[in-house]
Parts: sequence; structure tokens; C-alpha cells
Amino acid sequence: MPQKEILLLAGTAKGLFILRDGGVGKWSIDGPHFAGLAVYAAFFDQRKGRNEMWAAPASWHFGAELRKSTDMGATWDNPDNRRIKMPAATKKSLENIWQIAPGADADSLYVGVAPAALFESHDRGDTWNLNKGLWSHPHRKKWNPGFGGLCLHTIVTDPKNANDIKIAISTGGVYQTVDGGQKWNVTNTGVKAYFMPNQYPEFGQCVHKIARHPRKKKTFFLQNHHGVYRSDDGATTWKEIEDGLPSNFGFGLTVSDAGSVFIVPLQADAQRFTCEGKLRVYRSRDEGKSWQPLTKGLPQKNAYEVILRDAVASTGNNIFFGTKNGKLFGSSNDGDSWKMIEGSLPEICCVKAYTI
Amino acid sequence: MSVTVHVSGHLKPFTKGEVEMELLGEFETVKDALASLWKSHPALRDRVLTETGEIRQHVNIFAGSDDVKRLKGLATKLNSHELHIFNAVSGG
Repeated sequence: MPQKEILLLAGTAKGLFILRDGGVGKWSIDGPHFAGLAVYAAFFDQRKGRNEMWAAPASWHFGAELRKSTDMGATWDNPDNRRIKMPAATKKSLENIWQIAPGADADSLYVGVAPAALFESHDRGDTWNLNKGLWSHPHRKKWNPGFGGLCLHTIVTDPKNANDIKIAISTGGVYQTVDGGQKWNVTNTGVKAYFMPNQYPEFGQCVHKIARHPRKKKTFFLQNHHGVYRSDDGATTWKEIEDGLPSNFGFGLTVSDAGSVFIVPLQADAQRFTCEGKLRVYRSRDEGKSWQPLTKGLPQKNAYEVILRDAVASTGNNIFFGTKNGKLFGSSNDGDSWKMIEGSLPEICCVKAYTI
Repeated sequence: MSVTVHVSGHLKPFTKGEVEMELLGEFETVKDALASLWKSHPALRDRVLTETGEIRQHVNIFAGSDDVKRLKGLATKLNSHELHIFNAVSGG
């Protein structure tokens, strides 16, 4: 039986890097693809046995594109007519593409963009449409941009239920649909928005990332703009789980197959680098009741790193994260120890991990 | 009158490698000339203009030596046989 390989897609401020590990700890690296362009979103589609790689390079000059490769990145298509465009009726223009996610149906894909909107395709990405249910939500005009713009940056689908989609918007918070996207309900109960007069509003929270437990369908984790939370009721209400963390601020979050939760706390909103100059990943193996700092293989002196919202990823119990200083780290043992895979990439915007 | 459109090398992926294109016809405004350009080179349109039809923030269009953003934008009267499309000096 052939050994399984790990594929990493590392989107950076200057292009996409494709890394592969055949299981012996030696990584090959291929890139930069789209040299000079920022890649905040990437996805590798293995459904139905296909190997389709998606990436969203964004040019400061010419805008953001959604591009596809069917040969593992050797070549990329470049449609004359862009796939993702804001419809004329919206009177808006696309600013960036933040997320590419699979739907439950093997031919469905979703894309989250700025200005905050959801696009969907049900034909393997050939045609795309704006999700009108979300765009017409009465809250939309009251959402406010964060530092990264007003972005829909997280899409969590249920592989067994095409009607169940959860999203996160900065700043708007968590919304979800149970009817495939016609009606969207806001579900931020318990999540704090310290920067608003009412600190527990219905919406307006700056949620940085949400992720689902691999086996407990109703259990979710949330990294907020100050605050770490768990939901036991399908991302509807949230409880703080931040005891034992050096800071409740951070961006990225992932959950391994073992059910371990990984975050990288950052010092305070105004500083935004790793606490005390130590690069520590925090892991919880009891769904947030307690946290352990993971330091083996990570620099513990003068390490002032920033890890962005989509730059923490896992496949199986292999965990990866990338920093704005261009360091890419990996662990093959559920976080017990870490190795630096690359140390001088451009600013890492997203990391996506796949077992192939 | 015919108009020659010059584009920066960064746009070559969207012009099949051309950096100079000839537009034949009568064009009252910059917008009219560009409409003709989009027909012959459709991939340029999405890269030069936003969905709302504005010149992208970091793209500059010159009619002769005049920056049309400092005039009437796409509605600028075309009094030159030369159009230049450049990416602005920007980025990080």
C-alpha cells in the first residue's frame, strides 16, 4: 500500500508555495506560484478522486482572481472573465477572496470574500453565484470592517448535510443556515465585543476563526478578537474556555483528528505578537477545560511572531502553522514537538493541509 | 481616428502577450475607446476596471500625457491618438 503523503498549500503575501512530504520528514517545495501576488485562500479538492487545486491570488493593481490547477500546480487556468465578481445590483466591487471551502455535495464549493459575502458553485467551480440570502440579511449594512477589511473569512460546512453551513465575518460574527443558504441566523450568544457599548450584542463581534470538532457534530471552538470559546449546541451559544491561556487574543485555530484544539495566543490587541517573545502553541485535549503550552522545537527567546487567522491547519494529527515572518512549522505528533519546515518565506497568509 | 493603446508588461497575460494594440474607429471618450478594447481583448476589462466600472485604484490611464483620473475619468474626451494603461507605482 503506498505511503500517504501530506500536501501543504502555503499562501503568502508574495505567492503560493506547494509543499509535499512523502512521510520521511523531508519536504519538497514548489513556488512561488503567482509570484508577487498575495494568496489568502487556497483549497485542494480530492472529492470524487479528482485532484483540483484552487487558489485566490490578489494583485494590488489588478484585483483578486479564483484560479484552478488540475495538474498539482504545474499550470493554472486564467479565465478572461473572472469567476468571482460582485453582481452589478450590489454596486460593490470585490476586494479580496478569503476562503475556499467544499460543500457537502461533491460538486459544491463555497467562497468567502470581502466585502463580506458568500459565493457558491454547484458544478465544480464552473459557474458561481452570490448567495442572496446572506447578502439580503438585514444586518449586513451594519457590519463594520476590521483591519483586514469587511471579510467573510470562515466557512464550515457539514460533510453529511448540505443544508448546514456556518460562517464567520469580521466584524459581524457567526451566522448559520439550516436550509442551504436561504435564511441565515445570527448565533453570537455569549461572544464578547469589548469594543462596543453593549459588550454582548446580537451581532458585530469580531470573530477570527471557528472550527468544528472532528467527531462531535455540535461542538465548535471559536477564537475571538479577545476571547476563546466553545459551543456544545452547534455554534449557537458560546462559553468562555480561556483559563490557563497567557492571552485570549489570537487568530488561527484548528482541531486535530484526536480532538485536540490548537491556538497561538498573541499579546493584547494593540501589540499582536507572541506573548513574552516566546512562540508557544497552546493545546487543549479536554475541549478547553485546560491548556498546555507546546514549546518543543519552537523558539522561546526573542520570538515576536504573528500567526494569522487562516495560518493554522491540521490533517490527521499533523499540525501546521505559518507566521508573518515567513516561518512554517509542523508537528507530526499532535503538537508534542515541532520542526521548522521553512524559515524565510514571505509573510504567510494561509496554510492548508491535506493527506493525499 | 485610430487609437493606439499601450499597456504595461504586467498586463501581457491578459493581451496574449501584446503591449501595443490598435483600435480602429471614432471614439469620443476614453470609455468609448476602452469599450472597443474590451471587445478585442476581453480579459483586460476585469483587470483594469472594477465591477462598478471604475478604474482600479492602483491602475492609471493616460490619454496622451494626461492622467484621466485627474480629468473626468472614463468620461474624459479623447483628444489623443495614444492611450496608456499602467499599473501605479504601489505595493509592499
